[in-house]
Amino acid sequence: MDDLQPILLVEDNELNREMLVRRLSRAGMEVIIAADGREALDKMIEEQPTLVLMDMNLPVLDGWSACREARKDERIKHIPIIALTAHAMEADRLNALEAGCDDYATKPVDFPGLLIKIEKLTQS
Amino acid sequence: MSHTPTKHQGAALWSDVIRRVIVELRGLFSDIRSRLDEAAIDDMEHLLDAAQRLECMLGVSQDSDAAHDMMNVLAAMRGYAEMLLEDLGPAHQPIADALKRLLSAIETAHTEETGIEPGADQRTIATDPGFILAVDDLQENRELVARYLSRSGHFVVTAANGEEALSTLGESDVDVVLLDLVMPGMDGREVLRRIKEHPEYRATPVIVISGRQDMDGIIECIEAGADDYLFKPFNPVLLQARIKAGIERKRWHDREEQYRQQLERNEKFIRATFGRYLSDEIVTDILERPEGLELGGDLREVTIMMSDIRGFTTLSERLAPAQVVTMLNRYLGKMTDIILAHQGTIDEFIGDAILAVFGAPQKRDDDADRAVKCALAMQAAMEEINAENVADGLPAVATGIALNTGKVIAGNIGSERRSKYGFVGHPMNVTSRIEDLSAGGEILLSDSTFRKLSHRYPVCDTRELKVKGIDELVTVHRIEAATDG
Repeated sequence: MDDLQPILLVEDNELNREMLVRRLSRAGMEVIIAADGREALDKMIEEQPTLVLMDMNLPVLDGWSACREARKDERIKHIPIIALTAHAMEADRLNALEAGCDDYATKPVDFPGLLIKIEKLTQS
Repeated sequence: MSHTPTKHQGAALWSDVIRRVIVELRGLFSDIRSRLDEAAIDDMEHLLDAAQRLECMLGVSQDSDAAHDMMNVLAAMRGYAEMLLEDLGPAHQPIADALKRLLSAIETAHTEETGIEPGADQRTIATDPGFILAVDDLQENRELVARYLSRSGHFVVTAANGEEALSTLGESDVDVVLLDLVMPGMDGREVLRRIKEHPEYRATPVIVISGRQDMDGIIECIEAGADDYLFKPFNPVLLQARIKAGIERKRWHDREEQYRQQLERNEKFIRATFGRYLSDEIVTDILERPEGLELGGDLREVTIMMSDIRGFTTLSERLAPAQVVTMLNRYLGKMTDIILAHQGTIDEFIGDAILAVFGAPQKRDDDADRAVKCALAMQAAMEEINAENVADGLPAVATGIALNTGKVIAGNIGSERRSKYGFVGHPMNVTSRIEDLSAGGEILLSDSTFRKLSHRYPVCDTRELKVKGIDELVTVHRIEAATDG
């Protein structure tokens, strides 16, 4: 993992956000956070994270729309995004991929599985 | 997920487990708190905090937002519990046990609340990738389908009209065709008809796509051989599921086809290899009843034919080996054709001698008659053989043929390593003795064969022969080749 560049966690639920920050930090990652889709796009542009973990059910601008916008923005279109979908709804996940996410993980997150996905996307 | 009658029952169960474990964990935690590091204390407090929130949610009537929040709380609890298990588990067995029970209850909660087992998503998406042909006249529809399906690993090609679709089918091994029914020019029905009429494409599953109002059109297509259907605008999940089912169907078909071709190749090989020595009947018999290849046989009445070129041994001593082989191949080749044409079974060639049998493995009423006709045809063919021999500077030859009917053991005789379909019994020896006595151009029939004939053949003479190794005299009838064409 690249220590200089953080990964961005976008999650509106405080409880989950805190928990994931803790877990990702324990795994040796530097984590920055955003609580909605708009903030996520701003942070992506400012901080150029190596990867984004994004909840899809977000206030202000939802995850799918944020992904679509990110994919159109030259400055951040290259940053890999993993969608976090709260419900085990297949349509949500297909829509996430459709919106331009590179991979997805369903909540509750299988953490070892998520680490593998992160590693795969940050190495390529 | 919607409310189901079992849901609250289930909720009561998992929530009770969680409550009990949390109480237990609180106790265990306060016992060892002084010995824990700051991070572990922090994680444990987060876990208990989340449990508190969960407690507030339970019992409150759930709308979908509340359910969403509860999933988040459970997810957080799971995360902290897993971290604590990693950190404290090895040193504190009671805490590890409690945490494992908590995690298992959270998993139950998740399964019951969503109806989907954790990890199920991996299975539904990760399907066997296939080669999909999407046919639609509208570009945006083609692109949408291509994006959906290539995301889940399928290889997608598109066609904008019927002609293009059919030519793509000809060029590549398509697993599933997604076919829009309404297209200008050649419409979906016509494309479907052509696919289902084509000998090679017909096995390719076709999923037809149509407007919701066009139920009649769908029914018509299913009757015309469509494998499945989707209404527009289609649900992506349903699309994936149908594609998956279509690919599986195609794979089954492909495997079946492969198996069939393998069988056909094996059969061809057996026919080509053994057909040189065995009549079609024996080959078919072996192919149809492989168990018949077991050693053993049965007693049956057959008409035995033995033939020999007169003076061949002496002749072969005068000729160069290559000449002998040329002559033998010519002679045996012609004779083989004639015998097989008369449904005889060639048992073996010994040098120039031929041993053939009529009536095994398959018995027919006219076995003796066919044997006689066959012998006549063989003698008649000698003229042509000799003409060719003379043209090659080889001597003309004459063959003697003996026929005898009797009961022999027919079957696979030998050892496990080497066996052949063959015949054993006294009538075999008798035939051989009669054959020894036949002159060139002669056909000698034993009386037992003669009595089996339903046709009359001109018999030149009948004599009684003393046969070597046999006490009684054997009655034989002579038929001359020249008397019949």
